[in-house]
Amino acid sequence: MAEWTDAENRALTDDLTNALGARQVRTDGLERALYGRDSSTMEAEPSLVVLPRDASEVAAAVRITTGHGRPFVARGSGTGLAGGAVPLDGAVVIATSRMNRLLEVDVTGRLAWVEPGILNLDLSHQVAAHGLHFAPDPSSQQVCSLGGNVANNSGGPHCLAYGVTSAHILAVEVVLPDGSTVMLGGVTAEPSGYDLRGLFVGSEGTLGIATRVAVRLTPNPPTVRTLLLDFDDTDDGAATVSGIIAAGLVPAALEMMDRRAVEVVEAFAHAGYPTDAEAVLLVEVDGLGPGVQEAVDRIAEVARTNSVRTVRVAADEAERQALWRGRKNAFGAVARLEPDYYLHDTVVPRAALTRVLRRVYEIADNHGLKVINVFHAGDGNLHPILSYDSRISGMTEKVHRAGREIVEASLDAGGVLSGEHGIGLEKRDYMGLMFSADDLAEQDRVRSVFDPRRLSNPDKIIPGGSRCADAGWSAGTRAGEGAWV
Amino acid sequence: MSRGGSFPIDLGLDPEDLVSCVHCGLCLPHCPTYRITQEEIASPRGRLMLMAEVAESGRADPVFIDAIDACVGCRGCEAACPSGVPYGHMLETTRAALVESAGYQPWWRRIGYRILEHPRLLRASSRILALVQRTRLVPSRFALPPIPLRRTRLESSPRGTVWFFTGCVMDAWMGETLAAAKRVVESTGVEVRVSGDAAPCCGALHVHAGLEAEARDLAREVMAALDGDGPVLVPSAGCGAQLKEYGHLLGTSEARAFSARVLDVHEWLVGRDIPLRVGPQPAEPPPRGRPVVAVQDPCHLRHVQHAHQAVRTVLEPFFELAELDDAGLCCGAGGAYSAAHPSEAAEIRELKLAAIDRAGGDLVASANPGCMIHLRAGGAPALHPLELVDRAQRGLL
Ligand SMILES: Cc1cc2nc3c(=O)[nH]c(=O)nc-3n(C[C@H](O)[C@H](O)[C@H](O)COP(=O)(O)OP(=O)(O)OC[C@H]3O[C@@H](n4cnc5c(N)ncnc54)[C@H](O)[C@@H]3O)c2cc1C
Ligand code: SF4
Ligand code: SF4
Repeated sequence: MAEWTDAENRALTDDLTNALGARQVRTDGLERALYGRDSSTMEAEPSLVVLPRDASEVAAAVRITTGHGRPFVARGSGTGLAGGAVPLDGAVVIATSRMNRLLEVDVTGRLAWVEPGILNLDLSHQVAAHGLHFAPDPSSQQVCSLGGNVANNSGGPHCLAYGVTSAHILAVEVVLPDGSTVMLGGVTAEPSGYDLRGLFVGSEGTLGIATRVAVRLTPNPPTVRTLLLDFDDTDDGAATVSGIIAAGLVPAALEMMDRRAVEVVEAFAHAGYPTDAEAVLLVEVDGLGPGVQEAVDRIAEVARTNSVRTVRVAADEAERQALWRGRKNAFGAVARLEPDYYLHDTVVPRAALTRVLRRVYEIADNHGLKVINVFHAGDGNLHPILSYDSRISGMTEKVHRAGREIVEASLDAGGVLSGEHGIGLEKRDYMGLMFSADDLAEQDRVRSVFDPRRLSNPDKIIPGGSRCADAGWSAGTRAGEGAWV
Repeated sequence: MSRGGSFPIDLGLDPEDLVSCVHCGLCLPHCPTYRITQEEIASPRGRLMLMAEVAESGRADPVFIDAIDACVGCRGCEAACPSGVPYGHMLETTRAALVESAGYQPWWRRIGYRILEHPRLLRASSRILALVQRTRLVPSRFALPPIPLRRTRLESSPRGTVWFFTGCVMDAWMGETLAAAKRVVESTGVEVRVSGDAAPCCGALHVHAGLEAEARDLAREVMAALDGDGPVLVPSAGCGAQLKEYGHLLGTSEARAFSARVLDVHEWLVGRDIPLRVGPQPAEPPPRGRPVVAVQDPCHLRHVQHAHQAVRTVLEPFFELAELDDAGLCCGAGGAYSAAHPSEAAEIRELKLAAIDRAGGDLVASANPGCMIHLRAGGAPALHPLELVDRAQRGLL
């Protein structure tokens, strides 16, 4: 915990409680601990947790908190994989979970205004009656919040054809670190001036808190077909991915899983995934009837020229749902192997896919670690997951060495650090591998315009000058502090 | 850090189970108490973190007791969890430890459970409940029978080849429902033995409340009463789940063999010849055509027994079915939960009623008496699936 005294904590608690009411402010030690981590392996302890009910309460909470010189961290559903919502420096956690309303739907304009705490899939369910949905579909879509999606510019299987979150956000109302409220972007035509909306999307809570979001809604496709292709050789799977794209086809989704991933996924989903295949591709095409059938035939053709074992087309919606349920639960299902996992999110050029993949297996082998690969093959976004038990001494360090080598291999192949999960805390110290000190300083200056005192989600994304001693791996006491830096 | 009123405790949880949660949060939207509070402490992920914390420190406090007490025990989280966290067993173990160390059960609830073991007492109190239910029933497009004020006696056939488990709550409150379910079973051409007062209670509510010793006694009583090796058909999802758990609860091969004989009544009906028409039909067919039935999956059928598809298979020949879009979210009845936490239970029910609305439908099928009563009290036209089938067979729907 940072250097805040009991008196300082009490004064802040009193002011927040007076403004928002006792039910909105949590001080109990056990309760605060629950807001100290997200789905990554990092944790820290917030000094307070605030659960605002609307935008004005967010503004009040931010104004009071920063008025006390205290940092704050926005939190959605806490499913982030990079430690973005972990509260450093004794920050106050401001959780948007109660702000989960669909405020307004414009069916003809195909847009909706939502509060940031609404869950991604709930939004799609609530507009389903209009034949519309919110296209970005992270695998965590049943639980992640729209605010979290905006902050991390999240992607999902269907973003291959539809684009990631940024392409679906029209405007964001933001409470700035001084408690004032601004509207970035707009719903009418092309807003003039700088695209500050675009700057905010992906800023991981370091520029302020989104309190209302205007999202673009996408019509549900009339026809959808889902194919499961399985291969005896991972190279054949990768070649099929390249072949499909080279043939000028743009599937709605193009996902790959390796053998171990298929095993854990099938144990949970019972969707009939072939557990003896070395690689499996899940391909979805959508659009108008005849075009869809043609695309299915051409994809099957490409797969056949690459020695596919079987081509299975989901017979109905139930079968399709079962297949996706498997894919979308892959990260969680990995815990069936070992209690902990650590994953990376690098993007590599599609041409380098096979090469990098082979390198990933090699690195894992060298360290005697289990690696599982589940990835958005269509856009070269790898998710190598190292599965381990942090209770074994030295294991966490080993996993981190392997992780770093995987990142380096991806960058060497011309790739980037993060495809969709964000940098947050966990990947922050890899930034130096990609950017020069000047680049980083430039980014930091942009941030300063919004947050000159660095009180909005401090010490995230940009390395250096941070006090990270109070954050540790969740198994931190065992791994030793700072083991990850 | 407020640690007021803390006390030492050994939760007795398996360390492997404690580390099996990877904190992914995929269970959150499937948790009714998270849905109504939107707070981590009321979520499965939060409860598991607290269990880990208490297991490590060896001390619990009132905040912990409240968090564990507020859990419905619906196990929606367990069904949604890709990591296979055995939440249901962990909850039961934790509650049992709290009963030991903290005298956790409020006294009035203990008395409530005692009543369950004495069917006659229960019948008296349930009559009062039936009166309450009557006054709150909301009129619907399809007239529903009020919950009967008198118990219907079920005939038992000594030569019967299948056991029909009547349980406690269901027997006392819903004799007509039981009679209808039994008629549907008999319409397939079997004779039925009725468990009745010889097997007074399955013990599910006791386990959920952490009263494991009492639950084990009841289990032995039930097993002794339902002799032979014929199948045991259970028309209540909650009781069925519990009878299937006896193997785990008692840990004996005898109990495991007993549990293997237990089937939800719908599971048993799948694949059997259920006649579309039974008995004399009314001269005029019902005016409204084929009704649409929205299927509500009781948690203990869907998340615990995984037998919810069977209800659809049984209903399909008789009705159009409508599916809810809430992935089997709990309705808030939760055994004794609705009695212990009435306002939360009503809030959770609002979510279910909204999902029922979105699905559309004339009637609601619910294969658990507790859920059915709870939904009806909220104004939903809910009936047991076999009561629906029974009426359709008689030409009344
Ligand atoms: C099983 C699993 C699968 C996943 N699959 C994918 C995937 O396919 N694609 C993908 O991109 N990600 C995926 N993720 C990562 C994660 O779900 C996404 O990053 C998601 O968008 C985070 O949303 P959240 O509500 O949980 O945000 P949180 O974790 O609570 O927060 C994430 C970041 O957003 C900030 N934030 C939250 N709300 C606001 C707000 N209102 N204003 C400003 N900043 C805010 C936080 O400060 C933090 O930096 C997955 C995670 C899990 C556990
Ligand atoms: S059992 Fe039900 S109420 Fe309890 S944590 Fe799980 S989902 Fe929530
Ligand atoms: S209980 Fe399962 S679904 Fe829930 S957070 Fe833990 S691992 Fe994820």
